[in-house]
Amino acid sequence: MTGRDHARVPTQLGSLLEVNGVSKRFAGIQALGGDDGLSFQIDRGSFVGLIGPNGAGKSTLFNLLTGVLPADAGTIVFEGNDITAASSHQRAEHGIGRTFQTPRTFESLTVLDNVVVGATSPGERLRSALGRKWRRHEAGLVEQARDILDQVGLADRASEPVGDLSGGELRMLGVARQLIRRPTLLLLDEPTAGVHPLLQDRLADLLAGLHRQGMTLVVVEHNLHFLLAIAEHILVLTQGRLLAEGPPSHIRGDPAVVSAYLGEDHAA
Amino acid sequence: MLFLQYLTAGVVTGCFLILATIGFSLTRQVEGFLNIAHAELLGIGAFATWWLNASQGWHILIAGPAAVVFTALIGLGIARTIYDPIRSRGPAVLLITSTGVAFVIGGVIDALVGTGIRTLDIGLATSYKPFGIRITDYQILVVALAAAVSVSLALFLNRTRIGLAIRARAVNPELAASRGVDVATTSRVTWLLSSGLAGLAGVMLAVIATLTTDLPFAQILQILAVAILAGLGSLYTVIASGLIIGIAMDVSVYWIPAGYRPLVAFSIVIIVLLFRSEGLAGRRAA
Amino acid sequence: MNWPQLLITVATIGSIFGVVTLALNLQYARGGMINFGIVAYFAVGAYTYAIITQPPPKGLDQYAFGLDWPWWAGFLLAGIAALGFAALTGWPTLRLRGEYLALTTFAFAEVFHSFLLNERRIGNGTVGLSNVHRPFGDWGPIEEKYVFAGAAALLLIVTLAAFRQLLASPYGRALDAIRDDEVAAQSSGKPSADMRRQVFLISAVPVGLAGAVYAMFTTLAQPSLFTAEVTFVVWIALVLGGERSVYGAMLGAFGLVFFEEVVRALPFETVRSAQIAASVEHIITGVLFIAVLRYQPFDRIQRKVRAST
Repeated sequence: MTGRDHARVPTQLGSLLEVNGVSKRFAGIQALGGDDGLSFQIDRGSFVGLIGPNGAGKSTLFNLLTGVLPADAGTIVFEGNDITAASSHQRAEHGIGRTFQTPRTFESLTVLDNVVVGATSPGERLRSALGRKWRRHEAGLVEQARDILDQVGLADRASEPVGDLSGGELRMLGVARQLIRRPTLLLLDEPTAGVHPLLQDRLADLLAGLHRQGMTLVVVEHNLHFLLAIAEHILVLTQGRLLAEGPPSHIRGDPAVVSAYLGEDHAA
Repeated sequence: MLFLQYLTAGVVTGCFLILATIGFSLTRQVEGFLNIAHAELLGIGAFATWWLNASQGWHILIAGPAAVVFTALIGLGIARTIYDPIRSRGPAVLLITSTGVAFVIGGVIDALVGTGIRTLDIGLATSYKPFGIRITDYQILVVALAAAVSVSLALFLNRTRIGLAIRARAVNPELAASRGVDVATTSRVTWLLSSGLAGLAGVMLAVIATLTTDLPFAQILQILAVAILAGLGSLYTVIASGLIIGIAMDVSVYWIPAGYRPLVAFSIVIIVLLFRSEGLAGRRAA
Repeated sequence: MNWPQLLITVATIGSIFGVVTLALNLQYARGGMINFGIVAYFAVGAYTYAIITQPPPKGLDQYAFGLDWPWWAGFLLAGIAALGFAALTGWPTLRLRGEYLALTTFAFAEVFHSFLLNERRIGNGTVGLSNVHRPFGDWGPIEEKYVFAGAAALLLIVTLAAFRQLLASPYGRALDAIRDDEVAAQSSGKPSADMRRQVFLISAVPVGLAGAVYAMFTTLAQPSLFTAEVTFVVWIALVLGGERSVYGAMLGAFGLVFFEEVVRALPFETVRSAQIAASVEHIITGVLFIAVLRYQPFDRIQRKVRAST
């Protein structure tokens, strides 16, 4: 247990997520975790930014946290439960929500249904699907979905097929689909990429609002202006390892971070 | 002794299955879908041989190669007119379409040939009895051809420029395209090769089997068994799978009724899939 | 040509195959599963019905079981047996994707077929079971064949109603999501593997029931009625009718059965010309199949209808 990087994101409410010695290799290449694996904790109600150069393992980390990929080693504990062996949909049910680096949508559903389907309706169980009880629930879900579409600026597109949306709009739709689940922990993978600047401001407000309501947020973002302005804690990942962590002001001045990531990013 | 006799028969069956499956596997790897109509290409090869040999009086050594060339051209023609335009719709649609193609070819053969048993105008098989095991010259021919085809295909794929290009496409299509592999040419050569091999297997079918029009379709079951067992592997796993299925089917006759041969073949397939969902070769490897 | 007789046959057989096509539509168009062995579930239903309702073996019978139970018990157990067979075959195969699933279901159907051919104790081997119990006689003035057509149509309507109800619910929406993007659906809490297994199992039930009705109608349960060709015919019906719509799938089944029955009913002078007609039927079916897959006319019509509303 010695020699591991142990970063603790400080808030008063205690730990929500604990990642202990997690690692992942692809075809022999270490994508995440050094010799001892990657370890860190995220506290309940915190707003964490996750940064690092391309290939640092940010999306891989999200995939391990949400069970899209199995970890080679290590454990993941969420709300005190070991979820390392849990499947992807079980983790979603436990309260971990996420968006994807490349927006993923359900192309045969309308924009509205793409949000409604994010919720777990009682009519999704085979036994109740043939009954009528789910219908009462359905109206409430549709109303919630319309509210959320309004918040992400897609209210007037509700009945359109998703194929008509732009890349940035699809990204907002992915966020909307997670919001209807009210996850405890929301992982956002590059939420501003390709999103119109006006919508970006709206997104920043939305995330700040969710944070105020107590949702724990982890945001991967290349747009540092956006991220450093809203996140209260930053984790810096390079080559699958935790390079540094701390409040934005601290990260901005860290020479190791600047040379490994910020400098290169500003030059690019 | 009887057991060894069955084993020998199994090796011959296995060699025939190798001939029948190599082309199917090649299409699977390079073109990316399962061409159910491959078995009907065997039918084209078999009945073209029969027509040229029995009706037109050509010698089998001329009729056979002519049938192979004819089948290769038909195969290429089908690929260019039917499969190429729907390539973008994915392997499932191509697979389903190929069953339609199999229906059409089967119907055409049925309409032209009709029912009944067809025989070639060739001499009766001569039997040899080395070590007390009976084997005919035609059976030896099947084994020899399977060996020759396997070796020359391996040489072609490993030593020639176009062969290497075909392998590159099979392993990683995007990468191959970005490195300047000519997709159109490799595709045409692949179709000619795989259809020609189907034609060759068809010629062998005409030589060793009692030829009826429903025989080709019956072959697809065994071809599929060998192909699933081999998975997305190399030429060598196809050879191994062909022999395993062929020997298992024929040796099983030693203990259980011959009617269970297909059951034996597919039971092996299902057992292998239970443990390795990608077949003997495992995951797609370079 | 005896049109009334032909139409009543088309109505009966078309309804039976319509049920199978609907089940395939649910599995493929909504569940994203390619089942290339659907005939096996149909055969399980037919054989179960025959075995449950037939009298115990005597004389030259080679089969080992005959329960002589009433028809409704055979009918219900046919559905349950198909469900059981789906559970058995789904367990090793459903984690496979796309064409591998197609191949293994195909393999299962072939194994089952060769089992029926060779295992005489199940259903007399190649000979099959004949004189399968036919439950409905004439109903007063209504002739038996109309009662049968009505029963088959009723099964189709009930299946259609149940599937529609299911697919119009949040369950159907979740299925669509899983088919469109499984990873994203899981991240929204959809248990994709469980739901896919459920769809595979429940869609087998009406197929088994249809198999029972088919055995009643033909009074036969023979291996030669349940070859891979049945699977291909049902697939062709599905594709002909437009795989995305339940009504299209049913229309495809009726159209194809109608076409086959007409060709079968045509008077031919010689055996050879009848044979050629049968081959031509195959060729036309195949060509239609290829053309529909390529040009997708039904998807286009549907899109146009949707765009205009």
